[in-house]
Amino acid sequence: MKSLVLERNVARFAASRVASLIGSGRGAGVGPLRLLDATAPEPLGSDWFPVKVLLSGICGSDLATVDGRTSRYFEDMVSFPFVPGHEVVGVLESDGVDAHGQPLVAGTRVVIEPVLGCAPRAIEPRCPHCAEEHQGLCGNIAFGRLAPGLQTGFCTDTGGGWSEAGLMAHRSQLHAVPEGFSDRDAVMVEPTACAVHAALSADIHEGDTVAVLGAGTLGLATVAALNTLVRPETGHSLIVGAKHPAQRQQAARFGADMVVPPDQLARAVRRQSGSLVLGGRLTEGAHVVFDCVGTSESIAESLALLRPRGRVVLVGMPGRVSVDLAPLWHKELSITGAYAYGQETTIRSGAPRSARTFELAMEVVATHHLGELVTASYPLERYEEALAHAGAAGRRGATKIVFDLAKSGRNPSIRPDGKGTP
Amino acid sequence: MSPRPGFVLDVDSSTPPTLFWRGERFSLEKLPEGSRVIYAPEPLEPLKDPVAAIRHALTHPVGDQKPLPDLLFPGMKLTIAFDDISLPLPPMERPDIRQMVIEQVLDMAATAGVDDVELIVALALHRRMTEPELRHAIGDRVYDAFAPNGLLTQHDAEDPDALTHLGLTDQGEDVEINKRAAESDLLVYVNINLVAMDGGHKSVATGLASYKSLLHHHNPATMVASKSFMDQHRSELHSANWRMGRLIKESGVNIFQIETTLNNDTFPEAFSFLQKREWEWKARDRVNYLASAAALNRTPPRVARGIFHNIKAPHRMTSVQAGEVEAVHKITTENVWAQQGVEVEGQTDILTMGLPYISPYNVNSILNPILVACLGLGYFFNLYRGKPLVREGGVLIMTHPTTPDFNPVHHPSYIDFFEQVLTETTDPVVMSEQFEEAFATDPWYRHLYRTGHAYHGVHPFYMWYWCAHALNHLGAVIIVGGDAKTVHRLGFRSATTLTDALEMARDVVGPSPSLTHIHTPPILMADVK
Amino acid sequence: MSPTKGTANSLRSRRAVREESALGFGDGPGPLERFSPRRLTTWVGRQRFPLAAPTWPGTVVRPAPKHTLGVDYDTAWSRRYPVRLARAVVLDNITRPLARVVASPEIRGEDALVGLEAPVIFAANHASHLDTPLLLSCLPNRFRHRTIVAAAADYFFDRRWKAIAWSFFLAAIPIERAKVNRRSAAVAAELLEDEWNLVIFPEGGRSPDGWAQPFRGGAAYLAVRTGRPVVPVHLANTRHILPKGRTALRPTHTTVTFGQPLWPGEGEDSRKFSLRIEAAVAVLANEETTDWWTARKAAADGTTPSLQGPDVATWRRSWALEPHPGDRVETTGPNEDGLKPDSRRPTWPKRPS
Ligand SMILES: [Zn+2]
Repeated sequence: MKSLVLERNVARFAASRVASLIGSGRGAGVGPLRLLDATAPEPLGSDWFPVKVLLSGICGSDLATVDGRTSRYFEDMVSFPFVPGHEVVGVLESDGVDAHGQPLVAGTRVVIEPVLGCAPRAIEPRCPHCAEEHQGLCGNIAFGRLAPGLQTGFCTDTGGGWSEAGLMAHRSQLHAVPEGFSDRDAVMVEPTACAVHAALSADIHEGDTVAVLGAGTLGLATVAALNTLVRPETGHSLIVGAKHPAQRQQAARFGADMVVPPDQLARAVRRQSGSLVLGGRLTEGAHVVFDCVGTSESIAESLALLRPRGRVVLVGMPGRVSVDLAPLWHKELSITGAYAYGQETTIRSGAPRSARTFELAMEVVATHHLGELVTASYPLERYEEALAHAGAAGRRGATKIVFDLAKSGRNPSIRPDGKGTP
Repeated sequence: MSPRPGFVLDVDSSTPPTLFWRGERFSLEKLPEGSRVIYAPEPLEPLKDPVAAIRHALTHPVGDQKPLPDLLFPGMKLTIAFDDISLPLPPMERPDIRQMVIEQVLDMAATAGVDDVELIVALALHRRMTEPELRHAIGDRVYDAFAPNGLLTQHDAEDPDALTHLGLTDQGEDVEINKRAAESDLLVYVNINLVAMDGGHKSVATGLASYKSLLHHHNPATMVASKSFMDQHRSELHSANWRMGRLIKESGVNIFQIETTLNNDTFPEAFSFLQKREWEWKARDRVNYLASAAALNRTPPRVARGIFHNIKAPHRMTSVQAGEVEAVHKITTENVWAQQGVEVEGQTDILTMGLPYISPYNVNSILNPILVACLGLGYFFNLYRGKPLVREGGVLIMTHPTTPDFNPVHHPSYIDFFEQVLTETTDPVVMSEQFEEAFATDPWYRHLYRTGHAYHGVHPFYMWYWCAHALNHLGAVIIVGGDAKTVHRLGFRSATTLTDALEMARDVVGPSPSLTHIHTPPILMADVK
Repeated sequence: MSPTKGTANSLRSRRAVREESALGFGDGPGPLERFSPRRLTTWVGRQRFPLAAPTWPGTVVRPAPKHTLGVDYDTAWSRRYPVRLARAVVLDNITRPLARVVASPEIRGEDALVGLEAPVIFAANHASHLDTPLLLSCLPNRFRHRTIVAAAADYFFDRRWKAIAWSFFLAAIPIERAKVNRRSAAVAAELLEDEWNLVIFPEGGRSPDGWAQPFRGGAAYLAVRTGRPVVPVHLANTRHILPKGRTALRPTHTTVTFGQPLWPGEGEDSRKFSLRIEAAVAVLANEETTDWWTARKAAADGTTPSLQGPDVATWRRSWALEPHPGDRVETTGPNEDGLKPDSRRPTWPKRPS
């Protein structure tokens, strides 16, 4: 049994930085990530249950970590060595209890809500955010009885998804996979939850013009989430800037009103909003822009697309950026982040309703069959290829690349339509 | 030797290859034996003394109108409207006809002691002209006398303060035209009638109209019912304009219409082979062809565009007539026909045409994909009287590179139309219902139209409506040598060579089709029997 | 336009193209052959439109060619200053030296031209293509570079390259040999009035047999019309340099004799004047074979031998002109029939033909 382990090794981090210049995910070969013989994580207590991983996704933040591009902001929120992988669908290896207190029998398929807040860390009393079930905002992620780690997949104690030996999950992290979900659907629940959280936090109103910049996993999931959870109430119009043809097709399928290449997004938003153009920026423009890219350029463009008092929601993990904030000041714009998940309030048929982000994400996944976004799966041994594929996903017509832990040692599975040939 | 009339060539084995325009380039293509090639008549003899002819026309008006000097009196309000940059094509060598005519009109006005004179560019929803373009059209003398005093204006179809609503026609169409023109004691309109659709009541009823007014005849239904819009008597577009024109007259607007026709001497000496019959090419023509074809193939499109748009045509005036609109236009139409008419026996299965670098809407600009479609399906397809050259269900093959290049200053809404409308639909009716209003009322387009040099936001729709009759009529449209993605977006098929295109066309019209090539420019009108 | 099947011309040229292309490059030429003239002509022949001239569609009636050649060829360009300069350079540096080598002309009667004001008409007998360059070379400087040559439109101006060549080298203008063409005469008269001298061969063409042909009225007509004098000129022996039907040059001694200028008389019509010109040239011919005094006397007696030779059988006319085998002695004076052998027979044997 093998697992991929990330070690603290300054030289290797530096090497991966250099390698990543060739392409995202290229840091895998020379970086701090190593394929080692797996050891199952130590038991952590009565509320912790062993989970055997079936599929574990490769996320943009994972690529950044492997390439050594992650902001130093996160340095103290992880503990080395750790097994990456926080997008996880697995099988409960013993009987357990889920986040709602419902008993689960061994063999139940579960998805992990990876945030390691006050509950898994057995911190009492819980912080105000955990008390309100907004675990994503918990500040205690480096404290308590676990080693530092903001999520499963960044903490040395819990293990992570990229391991054949499985991981330990706290009862508060466990959600049973609904009936009818394939493993691929299930592995999409975690990233979709991020998108759901972003979509619901954006404060979209009736008739608003909304733009989504970027159509990777998060961008597409955001489109799907907006369409399922927000649109029925607001009737907003949604314009998506997507670079690759496959992404454009998917975005249209998930309910975008207009899907254009990124260089046409500004024109599309301008026309949709009937805006004038002043100094290369729209005078009116979009109410909300979801930036699912997270670079200086994308943030600058997002600001240029907004009407006064508009809002940019950063869905992907940004790093250090350089952006002219004059328009932000002048047009009273806001940039907000949207990280992780917790408890959401949605309006359904005019009435507010409260639900876990993960539950809403499952609804979105089910509605739009987001499991189809999983384009290719790799065995752990071929992690270099897998990460390179993930780094070039859009260009290669792929969206989500996952490790298939059950199949390790075998050939990668390719979707029957031939997409995502590794 | 007197100019030869138009000619229909039957291609045989000893016929040399035929010239096909390809935007800023051209090629020689071997047409199958048995094909026909339609050549325009040779340029008619121009008027020997155009100024004398103009003065004669102004003092001897036709129809129910007085001689111009009798209409001029001190203290009157005189407005002179004239055609914009879209005419003639290519722009003519100096002096432009508009300059010659306007100078004579002004001369008479000065003699009569008229002080209140304004000049208006009748550009409808076209782009405003630049100063150099205006100087070229009306000459420096007129420009310097009027422009600095604000007496030379460009019609603004979106300026509520500068429009007057004259009423509704019996069919309920709004007639709203330029206020200054409507309130003048005399409105002199100076036309260049390059093709049969120009002039008549269309001059004022379209050239000086508001969007609200144009809406009634610039729409898919009208265009489908205009067969063709080059043939006034079978054109719903013209019927609407005639209704409006008569209402304008009844409202008391006194129009003194001046119409002029040109010969089709289209290209200067170095490019004169473009308007010759290939088998009559002299050594010099062949050298010019080989040299320019080779040079253009190595020239970046932007530079080639610059070269071509610098071409000034050696057009000369062949006739000028003035007076009452309808009487004038009747004579003009005959004169246009005399220069452009070619009798053609029967329709064809496949019509081929080479599209040049210029259309009425891209003078000093880029022939973008929408204008490519409009030039082929709107203009060239409609250059017929009687029946279309190509039979119903037939195939139209055009040669043009059709790259997705746009002039963002002149055609901003075209870019959005291409990116946001054509990706959704190529059906004129659907787009008019779903998108037209949003484009027509877009404040940014309106701003650029009114203050910059942009075509009105709705203009790309009109270009597409121009194609409506052809789109309805044809079985398939194939563009040879075009950018495949762009061609597909236009809803057409893409072929690399003419041979491939003919193969594709056979799938539509059957195994042994008849083929006709229309050898324009110079412009010709097919009289299909 | 009624369709007609392919003209003979287009068929012929197509066949030519096919035959030439059969010579193809595939035969594997050696490196030296690659650029041979033959290969070049083959290559040129294989080219298609637009590299080659277009073929005419068989379905189009071919109009009669435009008359920009022949009598209608406009030679104005050849009298522009730069062209004149170029021609003068060629005439003085190439044509004259060449004429001297080939024709070794002996010039007689040049004094007749002293004091004569330009423009004048030089009327000469005509036996050879070299008559024109020879005569031009022998003109005094003040005439030579401002002299045009009346040349047969149907021969010298039937192809564009010929028209260009002759108008350049000889300042030739096209005239019709058979009759006085209104247009060409008008052009010539205009040029005379414009101070251009004119060389004209009134016979209307080279002699077919060595004897002169009757003088036509062109020179006389122009003189009468413009009031300018005609200088009779006799060119002797030039037919041996380049006789009709031969292409190789045979250097010979020639004589160019200028006569006294003749002015058209008051009320004299061009037909009578033409006869006077012919007679004057005949006197010069006689003078060339005899001497001035003998010739003058014969002229006075009316016994000057006709330029056109005797009215006898063709073979005897030729016989009289040809040198007799072994007979290298100059004979003087006509024999009993009025026939006279050529005065200066070639002093070298004829090339075997
Ligand atoms: Zn907490």
